[in-house]
Amino acid sequence: MSDSPKMIFVNLPVADLAKSKAFYEALGFTNEPRFSDDTGAAMVWSETIFVMILSHEKWKGFTDRPIAPATSSEVSLALALGSREAVDAMVEAAAAAGGTADINPVQDHGFMYGRDILDPDGHVWGPFWMDPAVANGEAPVPETSL
Amino acid sequence: MPQMIFVNLPVTDLDKSKAFYEAVGAANNPAFTDDTAACMVIEEGSIHVMLLTHAKWAAFTGKTIPDAHTTAQVLLCVSADSRAAVDGQVDKAVGAGGKADPTPTQDFGFMYGRSFEDPDGHIWEVMWMDPTAIPAGEPAEASA
Repeated sequence: MSDSPKMIFVNLPVADLAKSKAFYEALGFTNEPRFSDDTGAAMVWSETIFVMILSHEKWKGFTDRPIAPATSSEVSLALALGSREAVDAMVEAAAAAGGTADINPVQDHGFMYGRDILDPDGHVWGPFWMDPAVANGEAPVPETSL
Repeated sequence: MPQMIFVNLPVTDLDKSKAFYEAVGAANNPAFTDDTAACMVIEEGSIHVMLLTHAKWAAFTGKTIPDAHTTAQVLLCVSADSRAAVDGQVDKAVGAGGKADPTPTQDFGFMYGRSFEDPDGHIWEVMWMDPTAIPAGEPAEASA
């Protein structure tokens, strides 16, 4: 029996659940009401990729480690998108929905294009596009890229 | 193109972390690996972890790196196919130098979750859910 595809749930603490829910919807996530209440919301990116945004109170039920300040970053979450235009559209949507655009220099390597944004709580996301031939391994990763 | 996520994590010792992630079942993709970064595949074509040295990380962001052993900004949770697989993955993490159960075990019968910590303190939860217990797509009142 083959294993079913693995799913990932990225759990993030947020200060204002309604605001964050609207932010992630603006980015293109879909809310799943069956796994949402007034302490957390499941935001669906795909059949296997989910973001769980959790109120600070709910978050404390999962870990007693304090939330690191937004001036620091434990993780950066990169999402592969279908085109350069889709990357730009997500960055614009983020800026319009309470996030911050282009916290880092735009990465434009020709075969790869990425921009980094912050959500309302300072969590780092990096929408990017990569030439499918490179992503699929049909073309080599250009030498200068890594 | 299938939807893909790359979880970028800063690590202090790339070789050690690469070995750790391999031990818990992630395959290294050498095409996106060098001495500053390692691409670890959790699910081919959809879920990847990029381990980055602190020097590489600093090239991407001016934010400081918090101590993940004492603070947390994210809890990463991946699914497993059975309760035994959950326990097995935590055991593998411990065998590779990770720490078991930094967060409380969740056991609700139809759902079972445990966690482990990677060498840098990043927390991963492993969760099994009984597929038959997941509500169907239709609202409950419509399926009665």
